[in-house]
Amino acid sequence: MIRTEEMLLNVGPQHPSTHGVFRLVLKIDGEIIVEAKPVIGYLHRGTEKLAEDLQYTQIIPYTDRMDYVSAMTNNYVIVHAVETMMGLQVPERAEYLRILAMELNRVASHLLWWGTFILDFGATSPLLYAFRDREMILNLLNELSGARLTFNYMRVGGVKWDAPEGWIEKVADFVPYLRGQLKGYHQLVSGNEIFLNRTKNIGTYSKEDAINYSLSGPNLRSTGVKWDLRKDEPYSIYDRFDFDVVTREEGDALARYHVRMGEIVESLKIIEQAVQQFPKDGEIIAKVPKIIKAPKGEAFVRIEGSRGEIGCYISSDGKKEPYRLKFRRPSFYNLQILPKLLEGESISNLIAILGAVDIVLGEVDG
Amino acid sequence: MLGWTKGLAYTLKQLTREKLTYDYPNEPIPLPDRFRGIQKFYPEKCIVCNQCANICPTDCINLTGKKHPDPTKKGKIIDTYDINFELCILCDLCTEVCPTEAIIMTNNFELAEYSRDDLFKNLEWLDENDENIRKVNKA
Repeated sequence: MIRTEEMLLNVGPQHPSTHGVFRLVLKIDGEIIVEAKPVIGYLHRGTEKLAEDLQYTQIIPYTDRMDYVSAMTNNYVIVHAVETMMGLQVPERAEYLRILAMELNRVASHLLWWGTFILDFGATSPLLYAFRDREMILNLLNELSGARLTFNYMRVGGVKWDAPEGWIEKVADFVPYLRGQLKGYHQLVSGNEIFLNRTKNIGTYSKEDAINYSLSGPNLRSTGVKWDLRKDEPYSIYDRFDFDVVTREEGDALARYHVRMGEIVESLKIIEQAVQQFPKDGEIIAKVPKIIKAPKGEAFVRIEGSRGEIGCYISSDGKKEPYRLKFRRPSFYNLQILPKLLEGESISNLIAILGAVDIVLGEVDG
Repeated sequence: MLGWTKGLAYTLKQLTREKLTYDYPNEPIPLPDRFRGIQKFYPEKCIVCNQCANICPTDCINLTGKKHPDPTKKGKIIDTYDINFELCILCDLCTEVCPTEAIIMTNNFELAEYSRDDLFKNLEWLDENDENIRKVNKA
């Protein structure tokens, strides 16, 4: 008999496939993972604690830096929470601008995921195509908000800027363009044998597991649970749009791939309808006091972000700063299933499994 | 057809596409007017109201005022004005609250310096930063 020994292997914190500063301590027996222990916190900035000393408007730039790939949804959740507490009515035009910005950002976020997920398998060219098209979205959002990633665009009661001249037309032109590109993406990757071998039946979990681990977003919908807050608990003006919730039954990495690709199509549908319904004129911000004070009490709101449910809890004692602020950060919750998924897997599947969960470390660490 | 050959066909089709990259830094990158770059400061417009320093989420603005040299005029004028670009996150809130538009964003974003001390920009430096200034400052 050959005597084998368990080995301790550190993946990260500086590892290209972890998409940030994320460390995994693996106990391996040959090539099989016996135990995986994620170590997080390298990017912890204490957003929630810092917010206790900040006015509500000042917290918005901090939320940009949580999920920096999809900052618009983070911007929205904090202003939505404050608006709920104050009972503010947001002007129509502002709502449409918010929807457009959020959905464009969701597409950009999924495109980035698509490129990097396949890059993890060693395919370089899809990343370049994904970034080429994501760049166009970033340019649109740059024109709108003045920044490419950290938008700081939403304000309590509305948005900071109105759409610049010709912007809506540019967005309208972008939708058919990306639809055409998506066909190419499927041609390039979805049927590739190597890709299918590396994702099919890899990292599978059941519907019950997904719910018990409190997964949300595409990670949950890939197991067949039809749960999307945009449909099930419509916030903003999502009830005005006709779109489907994309689900798959398999619960493996490939299912998560197809859910995200399907979501891009659905987001494009929403963008198209929002452009058609976009009001010709109107206010972009409601009448709000110069210093915003949330009334005494507490509120919890949740929205569907690119990675899952983003929640925001505010406890206020009537001052201009929150007494306590808490974010439910979807990446953090989605990551918790990782040790279970990795147990007994081959080490070569590690990257596919982690990639398919789609985490952003800024959001995991808060 | 095999899946990977389809992919190869797509890649080959892309060969003839127009080039999308910029020749940066040999040529400047085109940026929209709203782009948030390093601030420009107009000392003569400032009324020392301290709103920018108060709204700054990272506390990177420090300013002091002095009495107006003309005794017939009321109010203060600016004495020193510093922004610490080690902390500044270019969030645009200072320009948003400024009642006289004394502080405005520009399209300049190249902040790399050899020393951390050089990231501390004073009133004179911010006053001289007068290229590519944002044209429309408020929505």
